[in-house]
Formats: sequence, C-alpha cells, structure tokens
Amino acid sequence: MSKNRNYWLLQLGGWGALAAAQWYAATFYLKLEPLRVAVEVVVLNGAAVLLTHLLRAYMRAKRWDTLRAGPLAPRIGVASLIVGVPLGVLNHFLSISALREPSEELNGFEVSTPWDLAHEGFNWTLTIVLWCVVYFVILSGRRRREAELRQSELARALHAAELRALKSQLNPHFLFNALNTVRALIAIDPARAQKAVTQLSRTLRYTLSPDQEDQLVSLDQELEIVDDYLALESLRLDERLRIERNISEDARAVRIPVMLLQTVVENAIKHGIAQLKDGGVLHIDARIEKPGLILEIRNPRPVSVPPATGKGEGVGLRNSAERLRLLFGSAAQLHLDLDEPGGALMRIVIPSKSIAELA
Amino acid sequence: MRERLRTVIVDDEPLARRELRRLLGEHPEFEIVAEAGNVDDALPQIENLAPELLLLDIQMPGGTGFDLLEKLDHTPQVIFTTAYDQHAVRAFQVNALDYLLKPIEPERLAAALARVRGENARDKPQQPAAPALERLFVRDGPRCWFVPLREVSLLTSEGNYVRLQWNKARPLLGRTLATLEARLDPQRFFRANRRQIVNLDFVEGVELGVSGRLHVQLRNGPEVEISRRQARLFRQQTGL
Repeated sequence: MSKNRNYWLLQLGGWGALAAAQWYAATFYLKLEPLRVAVEVVVLNGAAVLLTHLLRAYMRAKRWDTLRAGPLAPRIGVASLIVGVPLGVLNHFLSISALREPSEELNGFEVSTPWDLAHEGFNWTLTIVLWCVVYFVILSGRRRREAELRQSELARALHAAELRALKSQLNPHFLFNALNTVRALIAIDPARAQKAVTQLSRTLRYTLSPDQEDQLVSLDQELEIVDDYLALESLRLDERLRIERNISEDARAVRIPVMLLQTVVENAIKHGIAQLKDGGVLHIDARIEKPGLILEIRNPRPVSVPPATGKGEGVGLRNSAERLRLLFGSAAQLHLDLDEPGGALMRIVIPSKSIAELA
Repeated sequence: MRERLRTVIVDDEPLARRELRRLLGEHPEFEIVAEAGNVDDALPQIENLAPELLLLDIQMPGGTGFDLLEKLDHTPQVIFTTAYDQHAVRAFQVNALDYLLKPIEPERLAAALARVRGENARDKPQQPAAPALERLFVRDGPRCWFVPLREVSLLTSEGNYVRLQWNKARPLLGRTLATLEARLDPQRFFRANRRQIVNLDFVEGVELGVSGRLHVQLRNGPEVEISRRQARLFRQQTGL
C-alpha cells in the first residue's frame, strides 16, 4: 500500500516538476503563449508518466529486480530507447522543442532536419535511463532494508529459541535429579559418579557456552550432547529408558540448528517415557532421502494424556518450527504426530537444497 | 529397645531409593519395610503393611504422590522428597508436612525424622484399639490437607462425594458416605440421617423440633436433624 503510494508520489512529482520547469522556461524566456505551452507540457509529461508506468509494469512482470547489474544495464538501454524515442518524436513536434536551442528562431510546427529529431530522441532516451537508475536505486535500497529486517527477525527468533532451549535444558527437575543420582553413585560406584559429573558438565556447558552463535552444528556434534544427556537420564530411569539409534553415515555431517534434536529428545523423555511405569524405547533415526535430511524421534507415551497438553509445549514446538523455517525456508518441516494413541512421532525434514547451500 | 517405626519408600528412580535407604541407615529406629517405584505398586503394600512413615516422591509415572495419598485408607505420616516441587508441597494449607529437597541433606533428614518420632509418640496413646481412621488426605482443587478426623464436626453426603466440615474449611472427599462410615470410630461419629454423620464431640445441644424430631445443634455449625429411625439409638448412645 504505502510502497505504491510512494511510487506515485515520486512518479507524478518528478514528471510534474519537469513539466513546471519546461512551462516556466518556455513562457518566460521564449515568451511563448502560456496556455498553449501548458497544454503541451501536460500532454508530453503525461505521455512520459504513462510510458514509464507501462515500462515499470513490464519490468515487474519480467522480474528485472532479480537481475544483477551486468545483464540489467543493456536491458535498461534498450527499454529506454523504446520508450525515449517516441517521447522525443512527440517533443519534436511541440513548440517547446525550441527549448533545446533557445537562441534559434521559433519554428515549432515546421519539420526540421532528421538530425534534430535524433537529438530529441537521444535526450529522451537519456532521461528514461535516468528514470530507470532512480527506480532501481530506490528498489534495491528497499530490498536491503527488507533483508535486514528479515535478518533481525531471524536473530530474534533464534534468540528466543535459544533462551527457551536453555530454560528447558536447565530444567531444574533434570538438574537436581541428576545431582541426586550423582550423590547416590558416589557411595556405590565412584568411577561411574565421576563419569556422570563429566557428562553433566558437558551438557551444561553446551547449553550455557556463548560460542553457539553460529546457530548450526553438525548432526554428529548434536548427537554427542544428546548422548551425554541420555546417559544421565539412563542412570536415573534405569531400565525404563531403552534407546535405539539408527543414524546413517551420510547424515552425520549435515548441519542442523543447535539444540534442536536435544530439545526434541528431552520432550520425548519428559512427556513420554518418564511418564510410563515400564518406560519404553526411544528411537532416534536420521537418514538422507530424496527431500533431504529426515530426523525421526519416536517414543511411547501415556494413552490417557490428551495430545497437545500444556500451552508451553505448543509454543516450544511452534518456536522450533519457526526457527527451521527462517533458516531453511518453507520446505523445512517439523511435525509432531500424536495420532497413534500410545505413541508420539516427531519428524523433522531439512531440505537437500539448504544442506547443499550450507555445506 | 524402642519399637522401630516401619517406613515405606516410594520413588520412581532406583538410585534415589538407594540413596534414601543409605541415608536412613544412620537412623536405626526407622525400619524400611517396603519400596515402590510407582503409585500402583505402592498402594497395596502400604495398605497391607500399614507403615508409620512414608517417604514419598511427587513426580512419578502413572500418578503423583498426591494421587497416591488420595487413594490410601491408611494414611501414615508423610515426608515428601522432591527435586523441585517444593511449591507443590507448600500448597498444603494446614498442618503442613515436611518435605526434603533432593539431593537430600542428612541434617535436614535427621530433623524431619525427629519430628516424625515426636508426632508418633504423641499420637500413640490416643490410638483406639480398633483400626478406625485417624487422618484423611483430602485434595480439593489446588489445596491439600491432612485432616485429623476428630476435628471434623460434620460429614454430609453429596452424591458419590462427602463434604467435610472441618473448622472453617469445607473440603470435598472422593468417597461415598457409606464406605467412609464403615471406617469411622463409632464412639465418636453418629449417623444422624440418610445424608449426614455428626461428630458427637461437637454436639452443643439437643432440641425437640415441631415435627417431633430431634435436632442437634453443633458447635460453630448448623442444626442437624436426627431421623426417626436413629432417634432411639441416639438417646441410648448419648444417655439423653
């Protein structure tokens, strides 16, 4: 809406100013008849408004805004010629053409030399080139602002996702239960207790360290931290937590948003396996298929619990999905399937195109 | 030697149970008679063993510690053990129980156990020979109570529920009046009519109503009508 209004303001303002200047000069310096000059400049600049507007529509249809300067320049040249020459011819047959060389005697309606005609056409072609330059400079400025806005939106979404991930990772239940486990282990298995402290430190450091600003980590890196976390949860849940991993080798190098898998695995345990008396199997599958990287996390969950319980969970899921979309575009997916009564399946797709671009 | 207090540990994490067992080893006056990892396993054990003390986790699969207490007929003394639910335990309005935060500090545990011993010694002489209910765990919305039954003045049936009148509180209990009546001390509680049971300790006066029926005036409470069928029994029992 406001973009269009700005366009019309500039378009009419620019040509209007030119028309006013022409009228002023022709009336006061050449002493031409004001009314006739007025009609002429309105006709001439009106034609210019119409033709440049048509040119704009054509350029938009042909997506010239996506072109680089190299291929754009000759196109602008040709287009300016096509638009400029008719305007030059029109101008030539108006009395104000005398403005070009004010010293000459007025001969508005006489057909002058072909050289004069060419001169008018050239002048107008140049004017249209100028018009195009202004148009694309304004357009690219706007594009850059939009890109910056998108960038900051991405940064904000990431920040929110990181914060939330941090909060869920520093889930006090997990932390204090893990510490309690360590305390128990110190008495019965000191070596295992030492290992648990290391794993807990690594898990905490991964979430707390500021060197995660690059937002993306390889699946392999993320899996290392998921393993530490799962080792701690296995101590706590004992035989209730069983893990089956199926990671294809070509998937390991794919870069994924940091904490994405960790957050999903944590939810699978918190809302699924930890809620079951006999626990269950947590499946983590990663493979490369036609659409791209497919991550699947499957877990059993209590049948009685209705799907989409807490409000916070829905927000968390939406956040992760939004983060994926901003990083990888709309082809990326995150979908939690709770259709099966006793199970949950989280499916994440990162499109191959994005994988290639980020590699 | 003093009688040992029988204790049951309920926690879903095996290592947490082991840690508690180890910590309780320092207190030989407590004897661990059973362990359970969830509400369903704990329920029959507690009903059978009737322990004096329950060390109870809150977050467990298949139901919380509060769910367990609600299902129990026998309500032992309870110490909650929790990693982070202290706010949930604080929700107890009156006669708040003890709670221990994991990892459990031995000093805090010792203090909590000392309190249990004190409570137990005080309760003992009052306990009747019959296994009548002494205390009920009641949850009404977000609020929970351990209600000593001798402080309840009136029990009113509301369908499958029973409304307790306990000081200023009116908690609702998820049992029928009939099942509850069977477990009440008959010396103290009297079935006044089809819908109500009164605590005789709270009876302030008795009047003969215009209909010829007896009306009982309860301390800080309403008037309760004694049904024709129960009137004779009431006279016998109260010696009026």
